[in-house]
Amino acid sequence: MSTNEMAVHVEGLTKSFGRVHALRGLDLHVPTGQVTGFLGPNGSGKTTTIRILLGLLRADGGRVTLLGGDPWSDAVRLHRDLAYVPGDVTLWPNLTGGEAIDILCRLSGPLDVARKRAMLERFELDPTKKARTYSKGNRQKVALVAALASRAPLLLLDEPTSGLDPLMEAAFTESIREVKAEGRSVLLSSHIFAEVEKLADQVAIIREGVAVETGTMAQLRHLTRTQVTVALDGGVDGLATLAGVHDVATSDGHVTFAVDEAELPTVLAAVAARGPRSIVANPPSLEELFLRHYGDELAALSAGATK
Amino acid sequence: MSAATAARPVPAVRRPPAQGYAGLATMVRLVLRRNRVRLAVWFVVLVGMYQYIVSYYRSVFSTQASLDDFARLSDTPGIRALTGLSPAASTMGGAVWTKGWMTVVLALAIGVVFLVTRSGRADEELGRTELLRSRVLGVHAYSLASWLVNGVLCVAVGAFVALVSIGGNLDPAGAGVNGSLVLGASIAGIGLVGLGIGAVAGQVSSTSRGANSLGAGVIIALYVVRMVGDLGNGTLTWASPIGWGQRMEPYAADRWWPFVAMLALTAVLLWVAGLLEARRDVGAGLVPERAGHADAPARWASPLGLALRLQRNPIIGWTLAVVLAGALMGSIVDAMTTLIDDAGSGAQDLLRGTGVRALLALLVSMMALLTLVFALQTTVSLRTDEAAGTIEPQLAGALSRWRWALQRLVIPAVWSAVLLALGGGLLGAVYGSSVHDASQGGRLALAALAYWPAVMVVVALAVLLWGYVPRLAVPLAWGVMAAMWFLTMFGEVFRLPHWFLSALPLAATPYLPLESVRWTPLVVMTVVAVALAWAGLDRFARRDVQPA
Repeated sequence: MSTNEMAVHVEGLTKSFGRVHALRGLDLHVPTGQVTGFLGPNGSGKTTTIRILLGLLRADGGRVTLLGGDPWSDAVRLHRDLAYVPGDVTLWPNLTGGEAIDILCRLSGPLDVARKRAMLERFELDPTKKARTYSKGNRQKVALVAALASRAPLLLLDEPTSGLDPLMEAAFTESIREVKAEGRSVLLSSHIFAEVEKLADQVAIIREGVAVETGTMAQLRHLTRTQVTVALDGGVDGLATLAGVHDVATSDGHVTFAVDEAELPTVLAAVAARGPRSIVANPPSLEELFLRHYGDELAALSAGATK
Repeated sequence: MSAATAARPVPAVRRPPAQGYAGLATMVRLVLRRNRVRLAVWFVVLVGMYQYIVSYYRSVFSTQASLDDFARLSDTPGIRALTGLSPAASTMGGAVWTKGWMTVVLALAIGVVFLVTRSGRADEELGRTELLRSRVLGVHAYSLASWLVNGVLCVAVGAFVALVSIGGNLDPAGAGVNGSLVLGASIAGIGLVGLGIGAVAGQVSSTSRGANSLGAGVIIALYVVRMVGDLGNGTLTWASPIGWGQRMEPYAADRWWPFVAMLALTAVLLWVAGLLEARRDVGAGLVPERAGHADAPARWASPLGLALRLQRNPIIGWTLAVVLAGALMGSIVDAMTTLIDDAGSGAQDLLRGTGVRALLALLVSMMALLTLVFALQTTVSLRTDEAAGTIEPQLAGALSRWRWALQRLVIPAVWSAVLLALGGGLLGAVYGSSVHDASQGGRLALAALAYWPAVMVVVALAVLLWGYVPRLAVPLAWGVMAAMWFLTMFGEVFRLPHWFLSALPLAATPYLPLESVRWTPLVVMTVVAVALAWAGLDRFARRDVQPA
């Protein structure tokens, strides 16, 4: 794809802080008009990447293009066209939330007062309170309202819903769907699988500074397995030996197993032949995909716990 | 403190003091652990400085005649105003007192205010106190621990200065060591008053910056009050606890009772602080948080506009301070002129001419020092904004780093000039009105403005430090300022070469109106300031933004 179709194009990005290698050759693409999920555990380099995209940090190596420009040298021009929500919102303690929103909006372009009012209403934020009296969730809302009140073509969101209650998360989801409908691009860094699954067209999973998995949701689901639970009277004989079947377990006549996406038709036919009384099949979730990539860490954790 | 009121029925809003001190021992260890370096530095620097002056003066003033000379030369309005003059200035103890005492007590009192805020209001503002108090911790335990530790610092500094003085044989022969003990007590006493002031300031203000400004401001005000008293008939000196310390007059009158007064004042201040702490909510000050505006004016979207809003209080505060100082100093000059007029005689008339001008030059340079603190405070705010992270949402807007930084530097650059002209002008105008010389206002405004390049050199040095060593920039910048001030006051004590001392920005500025105008140092300093600031900004524009 050409850069015109890419709001963000990152190749082989490296960044070190002293002896700590935060990014070791990261690839990341945000296609124009799409929502790209950016998943990874704490300390994997998500925030560092976004701060490089904002020109706050300078890349050590690799190629970074943002809206067709260099985020370091063209920062000012590019920032007219982007809105940013940090994961940890720092505001001026003695200014009100409303004042902070106006300042942030005007730094990128003219303030759209009607839109600001609408967003304040949607997120139920009192703009007359001083920032130092806001809770974490309310500080987060200030940054969200400021970003969503703009019509910037690109939104960089670093764990934007941390601290929000479920109702506000719903308001956020609605807002991002609107943004997408308007053909704007979003980079959504998150821990929350459900949120990314709901909103993202494609996903990049980062680990220790490298992207370990990228693709559209459909592509990634091909890489993972469908979880099937069937009630079989005939027993499980032979099921485990079928190609593409993993982790077979039986309890109370219910059999659960995972099936590779590609083998699903064959396996289901085999199950049907055994006369199941009920069958439940769960589509592969992003969480499962995520756990697969961090499985060894989880294993290490549980090994540590049993010691 | 609370113990005194425990016998009376306890009002419902107050907590029983018995619970108020649970966890005190742990808190004392926490305060010691967090401040061990700071405590050690204050102790070593203050005691070490006094020790150094003692040994230096011992080697310089080997005869009584030389001490008599020192006493005669020191009897100037400038010395009286800046450091006070010991009535026993012609003794070794009095000479050392005149040189070092005021610096030690001011540094100790202000240092203690900062230390009390660090463990008090600053931790509360950041939410650490909340975390501590969620455990089994009495409402007063953390404060009391910090007061105890800092109280011990004050007493230790006083005790060791007394030991140093005894070791240096500062007491007059045959008088025992009473003088040195009075000296130590006067230092410890003023330190403890500073502790009380810091404790109350930390209860009144809801921010650590506010608490530090309030506490340090009160101490500086007390210093100015005694300065006016010392230059006049001495009545106002008694209105200031620093004046009480002076009037203990070690090696002369050797009074003990002002020390008791200082202890009583400390007790009252700590009692008030404890009372406030028992009644208020965690995180709250005396003034509750009010609702503000839902919208911001468009001008706040520029870094300069926003900085003017955010730094409104310090700008107004410093402007008021400079206006007050100018008017006050102007009236002092008037009084001095009258005093010297009364003395009469042709030779003294000649002396008076230079004497008054020397006094004016000294006051103008003090105005420059005041302005320098303002300029540096507004300059290091660039780093504190970066450390706090409030710079990031701004730079995420369509705003270059150069524009952000340059607009922010407009405040120290322009307002320093305004403060200098205002302070010098008022000083001259008030003095001029008493001698019917209307030209004094303009002349002294220009004399003060001559310090602008020097102030800018220090500002630019702070910018350079911020560009290259952001994490160390704030302490280093204040350190440079303190070192310059220290070297200007004590440089000759450390036997530093003359060329080095006169190259320091404040000293390199022509000493107007005593000296005549020299343009070369002013032009050189302006060029140096521009070069340093440019280098610092260039580095900032090329480096990573580094939060704390």
